[in-house]
Amino acid sequence: MLIFQILLNAIVLGSLYACIAAGFSLVWGVLNVINLMHGSFIVLGSYLAWGAYNALGLAPWTSLLIAAPVFFCLGYAIQRGILNRVIAAPVLVTLTLTFGLDLMLNNAMLVAFKADYRQLVLDPSLGSLSVGSLVVPIDRIVATVFSLLLTLALFLVLRRSRVGRAIVAVRMDRDASRLMGVDVPSIYATAFGLGAAMAGCAGVLLAMIFPISPIASGSYLGKAFVVCVLGGLGSVPGAVVGGLFLGIVESFGSLAFGPEHAITLSFGLLIVFLIVRPQGLLGKQGFE
Amino acid sequence: MLGLNFRSRSARMLSMFACAAVPTLGAMTVHAQEMIRFGAPLPLTGALAPEALKQQQGYNLWAEQVNKAGGIKVGSKKMKVEIVYTDYQSNTPRAVQTAEKLITQEKVHFLFSPFGSGAAKAASTVSEKYGVPTIASTASSAQVYDQGYKFLFGTFTPNDTLTTPLVEIVKQKAPGVRRVAILARNDLFPLAIAQEMEKAAKQQGLEVVFFEKYAINTMDHSSALSQMKAQSPHWIFATGYINDLVLIKKQMGDQKMEAPVVTMIAGPAYQEFITATGKSSENISSASWWHMAARYKGQDIFGSTENYTKLFREKYKVDPDYAQASASVSGALFQMAIEKAGSIDRNKVRDELARMNVQTFWGPVKFGPNGQITSLVPPVFQIQNGKTVVVHPAAIKQGEFKLGVN
Repeated sequence: MLIFQILLNAIVLGSLYACIAAGFSLVWGVLNVINLMHGSFIVLGSYLAWGAYNALGLAPWTSLLIAAPVFFCLGYAIQRGILNRVIAAPVLVTLTLTFGLDLMLNNAMLVAFKADYRQLVLDPSLGSLSVGSLVVPIDRIVATVFSLLLTLALFLVLRRSRVGRAIVAVRMDRDASRLMGVDVPSIYATAFGLGAAMAGCAGVLLAMIFPISPIASGSYLGKAFVVCVLGGLGSVPGAVVGGLFLGIVESFGSLAFGPEHAITLSFGLLIVFLIVRPQGLLGKQGFE
Repeated sequence: MLGLNFRSRSARMLSMFACAAVPTLGAMTVHAQEMIRFGAPLPLTGALAPEALKQQQGYNLWAEQVNKAGGIKVGSKKMKVEIVYTDYQSNTPRAVQTAEKLITQEKVHFLFSPFGSGAAKAASTVSEKYGVPTIASTASSAQVYDQGYKFLFGTFTPNDTLTTPLVEIVKQKAPGVRRVAILARNDLFPLAIAQEMEKAAKQQGLEVVFFEKYAINTMDHSSALSQMKAQSPHWIFATGYINDLVLIKKQMGDQKMEAPVVTMIAGPAYQEFITATGKSSENISSASWWHMAARYKGQDIFGSTENYTKLFREKYKVDPDYAQASASVSGALFQMAIEKAGSIDRNKVRDELARMNVQTFWGPVKFGPNGQITSLVPPVFQIQNGKTVVVHPAAIKQGEFKLGVN
């Protein structure tokens, strides 16, 4: 029974990881920008959910309706106003720029919210669902369902909408897209906005589960990195597969080798994938 | 061209003058104000920032009280105090660098250790090298004090003074509790206290059915908790800092884990833990080195535990916990040693600290030969109705130990 409980934990955890990584993967895959602000966007989303719940009584799933447009606009503005100016520069330049912006955003959060840990405590608590001796907390189920819905929505936007096709086209060949009349800077800003919106929404959902503090951003960013490398860059299904894979590896790794080795195991896996299968499980080779 | 040369030469002259003048002016200012400088390397940002802010509050309250009273009496004159903070960003190697910088560049007279046993031990090498008396206000592990250092003192008793009374109380109040599960943060203090707990439990005939460590920055404990639950423990003992323990308690609730006794060190002493965990914190037990329920009368600047609590509440509008009180008493101990020595000579102050035997608002203070305090009886407490209630020792007990945590 323990194995089933751990598998269940792993699936739920993996879905949350997928949600953390989907936006990061999109931005990295399409723009070739490693957005080091991603973790801080997630934390900011958590604060939004915490504030909306405590001040307005809004449940986190309702706060998604606020977080998505707010973070989209924030991301769009950052890309349009700042990152687009250096988008053609080598990846190290944008990496350094997002690193600097992240320092500013993270420290602004430290000043605004302090380093104290906060927890969004739902009252009444959603409780847990029991099936035999298996237990799953309902807040995690809610977060998992919304994570998967958001990831599916992102997938459909990329697949079905005109903007989404333009994003995919720019990802495949920027110059050809420009020749076909695609407004590349606008598409870049839209992709970055979508990535930020995914991060903000992930933060809103994670607020129900993890303690909230500006210093958690590094942990989220680390997970996003690993999931992207495992699943494949720029691939939404890849983020889901990578997230689930990481959840399973960490949970069963914890069972086999002890909880203290779970993080080591995930980063060990990252190194192995970078050497053996750099395109990830579902990514396509050749993106430079 | 000439003009440019002239300007650049003038600028160079001016900057040379400024370079020469600034230290002199600085020295004059310091001299005029008769300041005693205390260095405090703290993790003001990063994962340990909440703990650092507590220490800073404790130091600031002490410094404010001292300066309000005109300063520390050094021989026939009074000298005000200044605390020089540096942020080592929760990065222990940087703590050592900043401690050295405080001594060599900031010219502090005395030092407070960085946060926790690990960083305090690392930085103690530097203060020992320069012969700077240092008080560690948040280091309890024996490994910090077993280095044979002369200049290091600590206000926390060894870890076993927390776990042994806990085990004795549980044995007495709940004889049915036999199976103990321990989950420890893989970090110097949380791991050391977990190991002490394991030792104390085994000595009292309890069975340790689960002992696992988790890595720093672990985001999910569900797998470890599922394994622990499968062992049906009667007593769950978890160690870590606030964020770890808030997350562990949340995930214990998620997995419907219940036990007659749940002990967590070192989060429940903080109001933030109670606020973050809400009703689920009920009956969680813990132990720390001080509690405001104590009623000590002291020879220090604060005079008594009641007065310290009152002053702290007035300044910060919250109740003090052991981390803040320990920081304040560290300053007060330096003050008493300097006043007794009648000098800020580092060796004389060190000798006064070593032979110190005083009463303070923190409790009786006497350091052992290794520099660690030996005179304190740490209280055991429990969260009852959203408040911390002391259940041991008898002298300051506020309530009875209760069973059942869900």
